[in-house]
Amino acid sequence: MIHARAAAMLVVLACAVTSRAHAQGGSEAYSRAEALEQGSKFAEAAAAYTQSLASDPASVPALLGLERMDAELGHLEQFLPVVERAIVAKPELAPLREAQLRTLRTLGQRTKLREAFERWRRDSPGDATPAREYSRILIADGDVRAADSVLRQAQKDVGTGRGFEYELAQLRAAMGLWDLAAQSWREAVENNPYLDQAATFSLVSAPATARPGIVKSLEASPVTVPSRRVLASLQLMWGTPRDGWESLRILPPDSAAVVAWSEFATKAEEVEAWLVARDALAAAQQASPEPRALARAAYDALRGGDAAGSLFLASLGERTLDSATAAATIVPVHLRALSQMGRVAEASKVMDAYARFLRPADRPPLDRVLAWGWIRAGDITKARELLAHSDSGDADALGWLAMYDGNLKAARKSLRPDVESSPEALSALALLARTRADTAPVTGRAFLALARGDTAAAAAGFEKAAAELGDAAPLLLATAARLYAAHHSEAQAIALWSAIVDKSSDAPEAPEAELDWARALRHGGQNQAAIEHLEHLILTYPQSALLPQARRELDLSRNGIAPQS
Amino acid sequence: MSVRMLSFGMRLCSAVTGLLLCFAGAARAQHVLIPMDDEQGNHLKAYGLTYAALLAGGKAEWLLNYRGGSFLLPDTPEIRRRAGLDGVSFEPLDDGSLSQIRSTMANGNMDAVPLEKAPKIAIYTAPYSPPWDDAVTLALKYAGIPYTPIWDDQVEHGELAKYDWIHLFHEDFTGQLNKFYISYRGAPWFVEQQDRQLATARALGFPNIPALKKDVAEHLRQYVQNGGFLFAMCGATETLELAIAGEHVDIASVFADGTPMDPQADEKMDWTRTFAFRDAHVEPSPYVSSMSDIDGHQANVPGRRQPLGTFTLFDFSAKFDPVASMLVQDHRSVIPDFYGVTTSFMRRTLKPGDTILAEETGAPWVKYIHGDYGKGSWTYLGGHDPEDAQHAIGNPPTDLSLHPNSPGYRLILNNVLFPAAKKKPLKT
Repeated sequence: MIHARAAAMLVVLACAVTSRAHAQGGSEAYSRAEALEQGSKFAEAAAAYTQSLASDPASVPALLGLERMDAELGHLEQFLPVVERAIVAKPELAPLREAQLRTLRTLGQRTKLREAFERWRRDSPGDATPAREYSRILIADGDVRAADSVLRQAQKDVGTGRGFEYELAQLRAAMGLWDLAAQSWREAVENNPYLDQAATFSLVSAPATARPGIVKSLEASPVTVPSRRVLASLQLMWGTPRDGWESLRILPPDSAAVVAWSEFATKAEEVEAWLVARDALAAAQQASPEPRALARAAYDALRGGDAAGSLFLASLGERTLDSATAAATIVPVHLRALSQMGRVAEASKVMDAYARFLRPADRPPLDRVLAWGWIRAGDITKARELLAHSDSGDADALGWLAMYDGNLKAARKSLRPDVESSPEALSALALLARTRADTAPVTGRAFLALARGDTAAAAAGFEKAAAELGDAAPLLLATAARLYAAHHSEAQAIALWSAIVDKSSDAPEAPEAELDWARALRHGGQNQAAIEHLEHLILTYPQSALLPQARRELDLSRNGIAPQS
Repeated sequence: MSVRMLSFGMRLCSAVTGLLLCFAGAARAQHVLIPMDDEQGNHLKAYGLTYAALLAGGKAEWLLNYRGGSFLLPDTPEIRRRAGLDGVSFEPLDDGSLSQIRSTMANGNMDAVPLEKAPKIAIYTAPYSPPWDDAVTLALKYAGIPYTPIWDDQVEHGELAKYDWIHLFHEDFTGQLNKFYISYRGAPWFVEQQDRQLATARALGFPNIPALKKDVAEHLRQYVQNGGFLFAMCGATETLELAIAGEHVDIASVFADGTPMDPQADEKMDWTRTFAFRDAHVEPSPYVSSMSDIDGHQANVPGRRQPLGTFTLFDFSAKFDPVASMLVQDHRSVIPDFYGVTTSFMRRTLKPGDTILAEETGAPWVKYIHGDYGKGSWTYLGGHDPEDAQHAIGNPPTDLSLHPNSPGYRLILNNVLFPAAKKKPLKT
């Protein structure tokens, strides 16, 4: 309460220049009162504020000043008749009513407090302010149920629910009463679905311990679209997208559900929860068939590593769509799925079957898809033949074919950096820039093994290739070590990192290898060994761009900062 | 394996040598300057470096108001090594350069304070409390400054006297667990905390948590009176004062000790015993997440919550007010405010002798205060985490490696080094 008075004091000071008290006859008394208050002469200040009120009984600044002084002097009950006179003079001024409610609350006169609120409500029909102010007092006093009923009654009186549930929900969330906040938000969004984003952002900051209660409130019967949308968004933002989809999946498949599922799929795609997006889009498509949604679902399945699921969705689409529509929407993803699964011959048949429905411009990218399929299947000859007969003009693919043949000279001419270059492409480009050799068959086979997804063979291949290309040996060993580490072969990775640090300490890969080595040691619980390597790295390569990362690793190894979640 | 380790050790030695040769002037200077202005790469670890130099028996100087409150350390291989590892910027100084600096300082509002001894530090924290929920613990861990955690049993057994500097965080010395009962009484972490504290109280012979905490508060009061340095943040500031003033008054709600709060509590509080505050009004409602009207922001009370602004550090005279100057050394003078269980201190509740170190201009509250009490001193900083302004329960811990130049955290670390200063006779 004191702080409310302090806030009121700021208001008074801010508007003192323009206030009526300043402008009218009581201005001199008001200014004197203010100065006395600043000097902590509260009794004298109270008298001056009273004098100021004599010329304008409803002066808000003077009245609030007197309220502060009476509170300081401990006779706040004397303030009640003064504020009553002010209200009679200007019943429309909300600050006077608020001061009255505040004072009655401070004095513990709860019956009169309730009466004052009721009177204000009667005097201001259709105004939400009385209920808001009174409910805030009740909530601050912990009487949430009473505040609830006040707001509910006010909604009826005002004739609209807009704003009340919102305020109540916000207040409850601010108080950390998350279960109740969720209940209020549920009511709010069911009456006003546009509030769903406000609800999500209000509830998303709930601590982990409060989340089960929020989920329970939002998933309680009856199942409604707005509450489920909020719940699904929350679960997505809390990092459990699968739960989010489970919350939405239960909706009956009507048009509102289809919209909710589609929107959720878009959000899931934004956080790269591809398989969740796949399921949401597939459900939407089932309820309301739409070729593009089906193709999106198939692509999402593919991005999520579910080539078989993608194939199923694509086949489903081809069965239900006419050939021209299928060729424009679903066939490309069908070919990609088959290619990724190594079923290139089957993909070629699909391509042939739809050949006459494909536009000329669509053909080259699909040729590339098939060519990569043959590469993955290990048949470089077929990939080369396909690209040779294609109009794709894909220098990149030809460059890769040369690379796999170990023809570095040709690869150097064709491969170009791209903003979306894959890690493999970056490794290849770095190698081509590093070595002066024109042929390197062992290295080419290592890249081919990588393209076929055989990480273990690729790692062994790059390790072997280090002997073939001495001028790029540290780069090839670092690539091999990274692949070993990704394949959970830490011992082999460490042996290579050690070789790089020991024998190629001047190579650009040396600090990188030592950082990776230290990280592996820390993850294995060998913090002291990790610290030694990180200290060596920092002190040996003081100009390395990796220093910020190394120092952060050092802090983590020393337990100097919170572990990463 | 041993060959590999030997080989690695040799490499490390050669790396250190290589690093040292990299710095300007291969021969070592006599001193290194640790600048604390915007040239500094890692302000927070600079405090750890200075503390380590003191711990190793070296002497240091705190150059108040010189380039953000720089440190002057002896030039040793170990200091250079640690600075390199931690990313702390330093500048080797020969005698001529140092003389120029001293001449500059003599003509401005600057002074050099000798730092002689690494203070023994204790943090009052529950053994079961999460390690990353306390700004001082975060700062000390990140800076690499050693400390000892202590709790109620050590305090009750008289162990405070072992330490030069005691830090308190958001402990509620009124024994009401920050009144989280209102919102979190069913939360497992709250129930566990309450059960453990009650078990500790009973094991030490107290009937309830408020009784134990009052006694701990009295030990802390005596510690300062006898010459200790006390630094408190967040809710510990306000509740320590309430517990000391309310030694003989029931200021705990019924949920905490089984009896309602004394309705005449305000009249019965003895403010002559407290460090910083006077005449505060104790919040009577068990349902309001506020302890008193000392806190200006009342962050946990929706109707009263005040918005955050910025606070400004006072510019003290380094030559005449070295203590206050040390506490406000920073490379920023205006710092964004941050909430806590207690965020700020209302001016009207301050005692006349309090030194205001930082305030929000035009607001009725201040942020950072200091004062003497008996033979010791106390410092209070409102708020929970300078780099997490809206910190809420359950939030992830602040990663200080992302805030190595935090001006707010510097205030905490100023307090750590302040007891290391050699006391000079006051000039006023």
